[in-house]
Parts: sequence; C-alpha cells; structure tokens
Amino acid sequence: MPPGMPAGGLDKKAIMSHKKKRFGLEHADAEVDLVPMIDCIFLLLLFFMLCGRITMDQRVNDISVPPTRTAQEVKNPKEWERIVINVYGSTQAGTPPRNTILINNVKYSSLGPDSYESYIALRRVLDRAYDQATKFPDPKNSGLQLPMIVLEIRADADTEFRVVQEVQQVACDTINPNDQMKPKVSTPATMKPFVFLVFTTRKPGDH
Amino acid sequence: MAEDPSEKINEGKIDLVPMIDCIMLLLLFFILTTKFTAPEKGIASVLPTDKGQSASPPKAPVDPPKQINIVILPEGFVDGYEPSQYQAKLLQERSRLSAQNGIFPTAFLRVGGSSGIVLEGSKLNGKNNAGAESEISRISTYIETELGGEREKPGVGRKEQDPIVINCFSGLSWKFALLTYDGVRAYEIKKAGAHMGNDPKEWDKQREINFAPPRVRNYSVKELGEELYEEVHLK
Repeated sequence: MPPGMPAGGLDKKAIMSHKKKRFGLEHADAEVDLVPMIDCIFLLLLFFMLCGRITMDQRVNDISVPPTRTAQEVKNPKEWERIVINVYGSTQAGTPPRNTILINNVKYSSLGPDSYESYIALRRVLDRAYDQATKFPDPKNSGLQLPMIVLEIRADADTEFRVVQEVQQVACDTINPNDQMKPKVSTPATMKPFVFLVFTTRKPGDH
Repeated sequence: MAEDPSEKINEGKIDLVPMIDCIMLLLLFFILTTKFTAPEKGIASVLPTDKGQSASPPKAPVDPPKQINIVILPEGFVDGYEPSQYQAKLLQERSRLSAQNGIFPTAFLRVGGSSGIVLEGSKLNGKNNAGAESEISRISTYIETELGGEREKPGVGRKEQDPIVINCFSGLSWKFALLTYDGVRAYEIKKAGAHMGNDPKEWDKQREINFAPPRVRNYSVKELGEELYEEVHLK
C-alpha cells in the first residue's frame, strides 16, 4: 500500500474526483453542447445540396467534349424530353477507333469499323422512345411526324467525325444499320426521325 | 436502467441524437453522390427533313442548289492527285500517327475556294485554356471574314441567306467539325441576335447550317481516297 493512503483504501468517488482534477476533466460528466456541431453539419449539407450535381444523370465522366464559344446552357423546353447519347472517341474505346455508344447508362460497342451493333441498339432505343413520345407534324410539310424529344449528342473531342455523322443518320432514320448502313427505303408515314439535336460542348475554361 | 426519453422532454431537453444520425446520413449521401464539374453547355441543330440521302436518285438532272461549302481536311492534302494517291498518302499518315490512335493532330479549314487556315488540335484538348481561346478566336475571325464579304446577301433575313454546309473528312476528329460549326454560329449570332438559341421554337427562323451527310459506305478499297478527292476539289 502506498504511503499516506488510508487503511481502508480510497473509495471510487474519491478516485474519480482525484483523476478529474489531475487531468482537467472537471466537466466530463456535463452534457456536450451539440448545437454548434449541428450548425456546421447543416451548413455542409446545404453546401452539398446546392453546389453539387447528383451523378445519376446520363453523362459519363470519361468523355471530354470539345470547347466552343457560342455554347449555351442546356435547358429542356417545356414538355420536351431529352435523350443523351454518349459517343466515345478513340481514346476511350481503344485502337483503332470504334463506334461505341452509351445510352440510358448501357454501353453498346461494335466489333469493328464495319460492324454496326451499336447503331442497331441505338435505333432500337430510339424507336421505343419515338413510339412513346408526343408528336407533331413537320412544319415543312414533309409528311413526317416529329417527336417532342431533343437528342443530345455528347461526343468525345477525338471521336471520328464519321461516327458522329452516322449517329445523326441513325437518329433521323435515313440509313438502315440492320442492312449494312444502306439508305433506308421508307415512306414518311413509316419513318421515325429525330431532327432536334443538341451537341454537347463546354466553355474553354470549364472542366 | 435506461433513461426514459420522456423525462428529458419534461426537463425541457430534446434528444438530438436521432436527428444528428439522419443529418449525417444525408450528408454522407450528398458527399458520395455529387460531383463538382462545371455544367456542360450545348449547341442546337435541326436536321433538314426535306433533303439528304435518298434511296433513289432524281430522274431528271437538276441544278445543284446554291450553298456555301466549308471544307475541313487533314493538313497537307492538296489538289491535283488521283483518289488512289490520296488513299496511299492517307494510309501512310495513319501509320505514322499510330502511336496517337491514328488521330490527325491538325486540320485544314477552307470556306469555298478561298485560302484556308490550319487548325491546331492540340490546343483544343485538355486544360489548355489559353490555347483553346486563341484557337477559337482565330477560327471565328477567319469564318467571319469569309462569310461577311460577297457571300452575305444584303437586305434579306437570316433564313433567306444561302445555306451553309460543313464538309468534314470522316476520319478527322469531331472537335474540328464542331469548332467550325461554332465559328459559323458566332457569325450568325452577331448578325441575327437572339434567334440562335437552343429553343426548338426559334430554330425555324435561323439560317440553315448543316453538316454534309456522310458518303454512303461503298466498301471500295479506295473509299477514303475517293472521299478526300471529292472534298479537296470541292469549292
């Protein structure tokens, strides 16, 4: 037994009191004021809600769109739908360049430059969207029924131009990917064209 | 024995722990699901419904419609050769650029039959902001000079101006075609003002600016050489 200690030993209360004094824990039993922490958390929450964009949109990060000057904010007109078509460039899809497309978060790749699986899949998705969309007659009296859908073509800066052209042609339903990309023989009544396009781009300083 | 929460309420204290739990979960959700990239922008375009590739060629020969052709080619392809020679040179260039996935680093831009300018692709990639700004300015200035001269019809609206067709070689990068389209739009915005927005209702008031439809794939061995031959000689 250490010298100076009472014969019966110290009781628990006395030991705690001694420790609190020694380690500066006088307020150990007092309740912590949570209000400043809650304030901070609320501010953080507000910051993330207002400044961040939720990543569930149809855009993928591994595509780098080219910069332009006349680009405007992408806003959907009222009652119009938007479909984003991500078109990969050679840097993403490997060598040699391939026509890989990502639509509705599903990636479709073709096996070679003269293989059109991705275009066939794209047309299938567009056909489905056309059937479900609200349509209006073409103002140029072509007899076509145009869907109220804007197609956003989000192509990588180094995508081969031919791929972007062919995506546009598949969109306006003038070529047939099921028949070796030959011109489609159809009447205005049977065509399902998408003619309202937006090319995704960025301001030179944005990343 | 556990402390009864009602006792705290009676004392005027609210148990904040469940609220903090919820807020923490929300915070975690937002931290994990948000990204801080700048929102992307867009350039609107309407595909023509009354022209393009047709399944059957017209029976009677018709005069080609008046239009302004803008041509974008790989740099170094001058006129005066046969398709087979263009094809051979193209394959040679692609082989030389195989380390860069066959991507042409530069392109040659020309409005009609005028002398053109060389576009530097490297300035339009990545984070080279100063390079991108200067290159975009250079392209816009060139296009404005070319379109603003004799090619501008005085006294008529934008819709009545000659349509512009951008003919880009199919093997070039998309950025060259889009930058050219951007330059034409910059010119039209200067002339037309508000009618160059992304609202589909406004699109029928704009001048017609389109990319030329691609050649029908003919699977010939000289397909790219023939395409280059046509584009090099297009005025």
